[in-house]
Amino acid sequence: MTPGFVHRLDGWARHMMPAVTTLILALLNVIPLGLPALSDVMPVITMMAVFYWSVYRPDLLPPVVVFMLGLAQDILVGNPTGLMALTLLAVHGVTVTQRPVFLGKPFFVAWLGFTVISAGGFALMWLLTCILATELLLTPAVIFQFLMTAASFPIGAWVFVRVHRYLVR
Amino acid sequence: MASRPVSFTRVAQPVRSLWHRFAYVALVFAAFGLMLLGKADVVIVERTRVAVTDAMVPILEVLSEPAGSMTRALDRVAELRDLQGEVERLKLENTQLRQWQHVATGLQAENQALKRLTHFVAPPTPRVISGRAISNAGGPFVRSILVNVGARQGARRGLAAVSGSGFVGVVVEVGDHHSRVLLMTDLNSQIPVTVQTTRDPGVLSGDNSNRPRLLFLPQNAHVSTGDPVVTSGEGGVLPAGLPVGVITAISDSGVHVKPIVDWERLEYVQFLDYRIEGASNSPVSEARQVTPAAPLKALPVQVVTPVISETSAEAAPVVGAEGSGSP
Repeated sequence: MTPGFVHRLDGWARHMMPAVTTLILALLNVIPLGLPALSDVMPVITMMAVFYWSVYRPDLLPPVVVFMLGLAQDILVGNPTGLMALTLLAVHGVTVTQRPVFLGKPFFVAWLGFTVISAGGFALMWLLTCILATELLLTPAVIFQFLMTAASFPIGAWVFVRVHRYLVR
Repeated sequence: MASRPVSFTRVAQPVRSLWHRFAYVALVFAAFGLMLLGKADVVIVERTRVAVTDAMVPILEVLSEPAGSMTRALDRVAELRDLQGEVERLKLENTQLRQWQHVATGLQAENQALKRLTHFVAPPTPRVISGRAISNAGGPFVRSILVNVGARQGARRGLAAVSGSGFVGVVVEVGDHHSRVLLMTDLNSQIPVTVQTTRDPGVLSGDNSNRPRLLFLPQNAHVSTGDPVVTSGEGGVLPAGLPVGVITAISDSGVHVKPIVDWERLEYVQFLDYRIEGASNSPVSEARQVTPAAPLKALPVQVVTPVISETSAEAAPVVGAEGSGSP
């Protein structure tokens, strides 16, 4: 009885890992580092995580979890409520439909896919921000943040692969 | 026997995928709905946000501590690297500041004499609540920071947030243990200001860049680059005279202001509470009464009541130095 229960608990904890690590990374995303110009163009780690898990284990990061993670990040960062939630849902939705394109392909295909999909994500966020503020947001920082996010995807993927291999299995 | 689970899956699969699709669409609509509700300032959304942030504050406080010390260590290394140049610069600055000190003491004496002559009533002394910034500025879509003092320490919405050097932003959200400061550079920030040298009023409007624009200046305004900008206190939300920044560029795209605050080293923030609204007969004594009552045990928070003449004597030469050069 007890070993069975422990086993189930272990499996349950393993299945929680994608969501938990993404939440931790979202928290790390907002701490003040004080490094010049970095806070402006901090890569959006949650977007990478949602892409990675939507490709390789979509069952572990269902839309409800994506939605909750987005809301948590909105609240942490001070975004309008729902902005990141909607963006991550869009990234998740598009990625899940394109899964066969990335599965079993070399890494750079996934990287290219992430670049395209995250560009769409940033465009959506930019559009929603402009609509909600009823003002045109014209700051190059949006493009820099997108470039930083796309460029640092390999680093993020390295972490997710480790989590995938050793914690989720 | 084996056919049963297969047929069950065959029946369940479309239902499940339909349910998944429905859940996805419902969540997308929920996100849209939350955005609209948040835009309409619905109380429940606001309260939930505050409660969730309050719950995450302890984690952020712990995480931001080593990050802060790492930054300080990096700063120290950079300092050591150009120590010689720094000494030279400081010596030069010191001689300049000595001259300024001389001017300032003279001006202070004159100021006090004139105030006595005109029976000037000094503005109320602010209550200062100090806290640590526990989040970064938020990226290109929003500019705000979390500070680890909240309603328990006496923070409330609408207070002016300053750092050692100048105005930072306005407190827009207060929980028990945290406050959110909307930085003056945010897209939604509109701060009534005055150009200090010409007394031209205007509105400092953020655009999520580091150079907010100065809007609604009078037609005949004669502003020039290098002019200092201070809060005007119009509207009664913010106190007047807080140093905001310096005009750096005047072009077709507008007048741009460089904030005095060093955004990269925004570690500690002070909230100034003047209690402008709802002030009874003497706002000063009321504020002094409140000070000891506030619970101070929980966090490394200091509630200090500085003397206003000291503050203005410190601030005046610094602001003046930007505009008119050394005497």
